Amino acid sequence: MTSPRRAAGETFDLLSAELIAAFNGWRPGLSSWDESTLDAWARRAFQLQFEGNTPYRKYCEARRVGPSDVNGWRDFVPVPTEAFRVVDLLVGPGVDPGLVFRTSGTTRGRSAQGRHLVRCPELYRASLRAGFRAFVYDEDNPAKIVTLPPSFTHDADSSLGWMLDDLRVGIGLGDGVSVASTAGIDWGKLDTEVRESAEGGRPLCLLGTTLGFAEWLDRLEDGRSVASKLPEGTLLMDTGGEKGREGLERGRLLRGLEDQLGIAPPSIVNEFGMTELLSQRYGHGDPAVPLIGPPWLRSIVLDPVTLEEVPRGETGILCHFDLANLGSVCAVLTEDQGRAAGDGIEWVGRTEGAPPRGCSLATAELLEAQGNA
Amino acid sequence: MLEAWYLPGLEESPAEWLEGRTRAGAAFRAPTLSVDRARAVAGAVREAVLKARTTRSTEEVIGAVARAAGKLSADGPESVAARELLRTELGWNERLVRETLEGMARTWTHEALTGLVDAELGGTASLDGFVADPQWSGPGQRRRRALGSPVVLQVLAGNVPGVAITATMRALLVRSGVLCKLPESEPGLLPLFARLLAAEDPLLGDCVAATWWPGASFPAAWREWAGWAGKTVVYGGDVTVEAVRRSLPADTEIVTYGPKTGVAVVLADSLPSAAAGLARDVCAYDQQGCVSPRLVYVVGESTRPFVEHLAASLEDLAEQHPPPGPTAAEAVAIRAARAAFEFSGYDDGRSAVESPGESLDWTILSSEDPAARTESLPRVLWVHRVPDLQTLEEVLRPLEGRIQTVGYCGTQELTKLTGIGARLGVSRIAPFGSMAWPPPDWRHEGKHQLLPLVNWTDFETLE
Repeated sequence: MTSPRRAAGETFDLLSAELIAAFNGWRPGLSSWDESTLDAWARRAFQLQFEGNTPYRKYCEARRVGPSDVNGWRDFVPVPTEAFRVVDLLVGPGVDPGLVFRTSGTTRGRSAQGRHLVRCPELYRASLRAGFRAFVYDEDNPAKIVTLPPSFTHDADSSLGWMLDDLRVGIGLGDGVSVASTAGIDWGKLDTEVRESAEGGRPLCLLGTTLGFAEWLDRLEDGRSVASKLPEGTLLMDTGGEKGREGLERGRLLRGLEDQLGIAPPSIVNEFGMTELLSQRYGHGDPAVPLIGPPWLRSIVLDPVTLEEVPRGETGILCHFDLANLGSVCAVLTEDQGRAAGDGIEWVGRTEGAPPRGCSLATAELLEAQGNA
Repeated sequence: MLEAWYLPGLEESPAEWLEGRTRAGAAFRAPTLSVDRARAVAGAVREAVLKARTTRSTEEVIGAVARAAGKLSADGPESVAARELLRTELGWNERLVRETLEGMARTWTHEALTGLVDAELGGTASLDGFVADPQWSGPGQRRRRALGSPVVLQVLAGNVPGVAITATMRALLVRSGVLCKLPESEPGLLPLFARLLAAEDPLLGDCVAATWWPGASFPAAWREWAGWAGKTVVYGGDVTVEAVRRSLPADTEIVTYGPKTGVAVVLADSLPSAAAGLARDVCAYDQQGCVSPRLVYVVGESTRPFVEHLAASLEDLAEQHPPPGPTAAEAVAIRAARAAFEFSGYDDGRSAVESPGESLDWTILSSEDPAARTESLPRVLWVHRVPDLQTLEEVLRPLEGRIQTVGYCGTQELTKLTGIGARLGVSRIAPFGSMAWPPPDWRHEGKHQLLPLVNWTDFETLE
């Protein structure tokens, strides 16, 4: 891999093209990204973001941080995820983003949706595919990709839907299928894929949400879907977690799928991603620890009050650095709790909203309930 | 392990325990209460109340209650124990604990309690016997007597220290006994007060029973207690009140005190010095009180000058009076709220954040546009500009009935502000610097403190 350097006349297009080449060329174990390599990329990325992303520049200036203060990825000023709900963080100006991903959900009585403008979809794609090939998919034994989109990926601007579609068409033999229907998952079509795989011996790579797989397991267990032992090499990647379905335990889900389909860890992979971050982490088995990712995605664990890094192994707030975010902001301070584990991280959970204090009323929820927020 | 219980009438020492932790992490325990034991406790309280009614005057009750409460804040081993307890339970520093206890204790003095009874019942006489009604215009005479039900059930879900004591005193003053569920975040102070009261007068000590159990559910022992209670007092949010209501017989009278917010209004002719008073109101009770200011409105051109003074005052207080420090969830929420205002400001220039850098000691979120959205976060204030008081009333209308106190500084259009306060159901309008410390006879949530607890008996004669 070529060594990154600060090019004269640096432009977004130039740097993103170099990064795409670097992502494509990365092979775990064969090409290494040492700290100094990453830091060199980080310096160039910060320069571009500081100059081209006006809200981010103002945020950095308010903290008296400029390009001369950033010697590596750890020196980036991280932006709280809340910022994505308030402003467009795009390295521009005057450019049209190639993609817009919207965040879902409600945070602390506030339903304002956030969005991540993706200036360069090719860069996102390069990171996604490189990570997927490295941590999930075996291209020497190309399984047929089958995506189970949950109903919400039919909504526009879902990063999850985009990701599944891209992997389906861009990985393996290019013959992946989606079992989407207008109502959600086309269960008949999924049954057909399962039957053909079981009979023909070609493994499947099943991609979907944790909730989608839970629904499938319900159907397998009560006989509405066809249970078959799938061939060796079959993979299953779930994403999104258990949120949204009370009482769902991933462990029970995986044991059920093993019983019904014969897929067992480590062939079951949990994908960890977020709209504000364009690279992904992956964990094998249950629990899915550690979550590992490509070398251009780094995560540190911070004390939520002081923002100092906590001793290794202690739980804190996850803060990510991702070069695939070149078109927005590379460093993102999340509301997720996690800790360092092995070569990656362990995701512990979302930080729940602060409980009410004393008899002091939080008006946010009251106004939300009245439709006045 | 803190003892979160005070249960007269238990013949044997408890053997089984329920254990809990306060939000600051202090471990405490209370006995598992069987229905039989709950019945024994309720019976003991009722018996003590009925006996006290015939052997103690209300004046004597006030005296004993005030002496016991006075020990919580006067110099002596009891106040040392009380402060140590609150520091452990709440994670507060010595100064905040001391200031809070002293502030509460001003409403617990003999003079304050007598004043309260005078203000609401015209003196103690009507609690001790029938008193002639001078307003009576019918034939003969009318005499009236006020008396609480023998047993009042109390549920405390908030965590402002001392509230359980204030609630218990109100019941004792109207000659009721108390069966109380203690708040999880501060379960220790009422049992301590009950022990001090028992030391003053064992019979009055037996008029108070308090314990704790986990969660919002109501065990069988509670349902037993509910059967003994004439009235129920609940301090808690809508969810708690609703859960209590469902657990009680349909005809039980409930007096509720719910979460409220404090609103501060900077009138057009305010002086900068007013900011210091508001900052003190913010820091009291660690901004957890229903009287604590959280929303600030600046009437006029810009929030800027007032925000700068307020920031300086909060910074001064943070040095003299360091805040206890937020929880992880609060820290995350404060940073998110700051990010929202800061990035919005970069977008349109109409909002801004003042804070001591990345430190979470205090935060001012200011906006030149009116709004009323807040979160329950420590030492965080939302400051909005309003062009005039009419706009203020419109902005606050969704909070009607939810505003405890309106603080003000300045005099311009003050009369208009008082009209708005009355229309919005505000219970008190007071200058900055006194928002957090209402006087003893304040009508809490716009209600009398004692009258909702008493039943009146009229006695008419023809001569």
